[in-house]
Amino acid sequence: MTDATVKIDTAPPENLHANMIKLTMGLGGVVFLLMMIFGLVMRTAQGGIIDLDPAIFYQLLTAHGAGMVGSAALSGAAILWYFVARYVDLNPKVYLIFLGLFLAGVVCILGSIFFGQYGGAWTFLFPLPAISGGAWEAGAAVVFCVGYLLIGVGFLIYYLEMGYKVSKSFKGLFGGLGWKFIINGDTAAAPPPTIIAASSVMVFNSIGIVFGAIVLVANIVNLLIPSFAVDALLAKNATYFFGHVFINATIYMAVTAVYEIIPEYTGKPWKSTRLFAIAWAAVVVFVQAVYFHHLLQDVNMPAWAMATGQVVSYASGVPLIAVTLFSTALYIKGSGMKWDLATKLLVLGVGGWGVGAIPAMIDGMVSVNKLMHNTQWVPGHFHTYLLLGEAAMAFGFAAWLVKDTSRVTQSGLDRFAFLAYVAGGAGFVLMFLWSGASSIPRRWAVHYEAWQLQSQVATVFAAVVILATTLFIFGYVKGLMRRGAKT
Amino acid sequence: MQTTILIISLALMAVVGVTYACAVYANDGPAAGPQANKNRSLLLWGMIVFGVIISVATLRENPHVSAGPAPMVVNISGGQWWWETDIYEIPMGQEVEFRVTTEDVTHGMGIYTPDMTLVAQVQAMPGYTNKLVHTFDAPGTYQILCMELCGIAHHDMINEFDVTEAAQ
Repeated sequence: MTDATVKIDTAPPENLHANMIKLTMGLGGVVFLLMMIFGLVMRTAQGGIIDLDPAIFYQLLTAHGAGMVGSAALSGAAILWYFVARYVDLNPKVYLIFLGLFLAGVVCILGSIFFGQYGGAWTFLFPLPAISGGAWEAGAAVVFCVGYLLIGVGFLIYYLEMGYKVSKSFKGLFGGLGWKFIINGDTAAAPPPTIIAASSVMVFNSIGIVFGAIVLVANIVNLLIPSFAVDALLAKNATYFFGHVFINATIYMAVTAVYEIIPEYTGKPWKSTRLFAIAWAAVVVFVQAVYFHHLLQDVNMPAWAMATGQVVSYASGVPLIAVTLFSTALYIKGSGMKWDLATKLLVLGVGGWGVGAIPAMIDGMVSVNKLMHNTQWVPGHFHTYLLLGEAAMAFGFAAWLVKDTSRVTQSGLDRFAFLAYVAGGAGFVLMFLWSGASSIPRRWAVHYEAWQLQSQVATVFAAVVILATTLFIFGYVKGLMRRGAKT
Repeated sequence: MQTTILIISLALMAVVGVTYACAVYANDGPAAGPQANKNRSLLLWGMIVFGVIISVATLRENPHVSAGPAPMVVNISGGQWWWETDIYEIPMGQEVEFRVTTEDVTHGMGIYTPDMTLVAQVQAMPGYTNKLVHTFDAPGTYQILCMELCGIAHHDMINEFDVTEAAQ
């Protein structure tokens, strides 16, 4: 690997949305950092290093979950918007409405947690929001759900604008999805990879958000009129359908940064092949059908749903590993691409995503799930593909966004920050996986003494990740302040 | 079992991660040749075939086994923040059908061995009775822990029962 000299000869075209996107990435980065600190506090408490009131722990847990999903979604949405705007004429006002609704939602969520003491986790599993055991009032849970709804409405408006513009420019949504290209094979009419990704995410995430909205409204009505109740298993299906689709959409949005930025370093376009379009078509189906794997211990679910959960969990990994991961490796090998913080993080993001899918696929097996479900194995795999996947892509995009194109050397600080992020992140997720294999349940405020070692070691790794993230944000702010940053 | 799962997972993660890292770090080396596309097809089809085999092997019989003709029935109910069971002594080797219910929110009933290894679990869902069939093969005091976040004393929702050798 050569990383001594980095120079991009062709600057990307001017992007009218850049300032809004820079603001978003700054906000997302700060929230990522704050949520990491919450995570560190929780691991410290689980390690017995500090004594934390369980009520506070579960509030931090709720904020950490909602905040991380939120910042992943926000950064993914910013990346997707930035790059889709290269192909279609997106209305910046729509993005501002989306951002405004998102921030309003964040205020509601944080208010419900830290002023209303809501601690029912980001999954708001019915009927927990209404039955808190005295920990929070119904009003706090209502505000939490309203916060989610505001964010959901913002996303639907965002996708409506994007879907409309993509449909106009690419002969309908099927054109944008690349499904027409799959059928007719006309390479000249193939939509760019970013448009295929955007169209796919628009379809499945809009459906997911609608299901989320339905179950949120049901929760709100139940909170206001307790005699109104819905079937708990049905509500859980809707919740996990929404939750699974929404969190996965964050990665599928962020990966467009790889499709768009890496070619600027290699000089080779990232092409839409039929295999690429077919893989994305498979994603549209798999990402929706796979959610059953969250209900493998709900034995009243029909047997076909269990089997679907297991089979599609495995199937979801096939396009990811055999197409996305393999193709990225193939594309970069021998490309002459030069490394800088942006390319390192983007390439890491694809790797972390692919590697993190493996323990998830294994956990998707019903027989394994019986031993691993709701243990720390679960945060073990999702932290791998979020911390070392989505978040890495987001930080990579942010680094590229404010990159100093006049510099020909990579700073030692960037190299240190990257290494710290990889080492800290890998160690951190390994502690979760080890904890899961040690049968340690997730979401426990207090751990037995025999379970504390993993948390104590994880605390050190978490601190290293936080240090690296602080350096990324420092570099980002420095880049923003520098004259000549991309606009 | 959990250790085996961990080792297999880490081995696969290492193979995929190291292969990927070697390829991307060869950015200044020779480009991938035409064989690479064949390798991708091989990987793709290999994963599909392996998936079919493992799915058939592990799903041919429902992993959530049903009880045989004469199980010992143990009723367990949960609530914020307690577990209640109608039987506290279970003979080793006896097939047991746990019938798990909840009086309020969703809980998760996890059964832990005396050395705190999770051996089985099932969700406790409002409005439903969830059945879990298990046969204990070692004596001792087992714990029931809550596996689903259910409020501020979730981690205190613990009970226990004994598996005895005597009645075998």
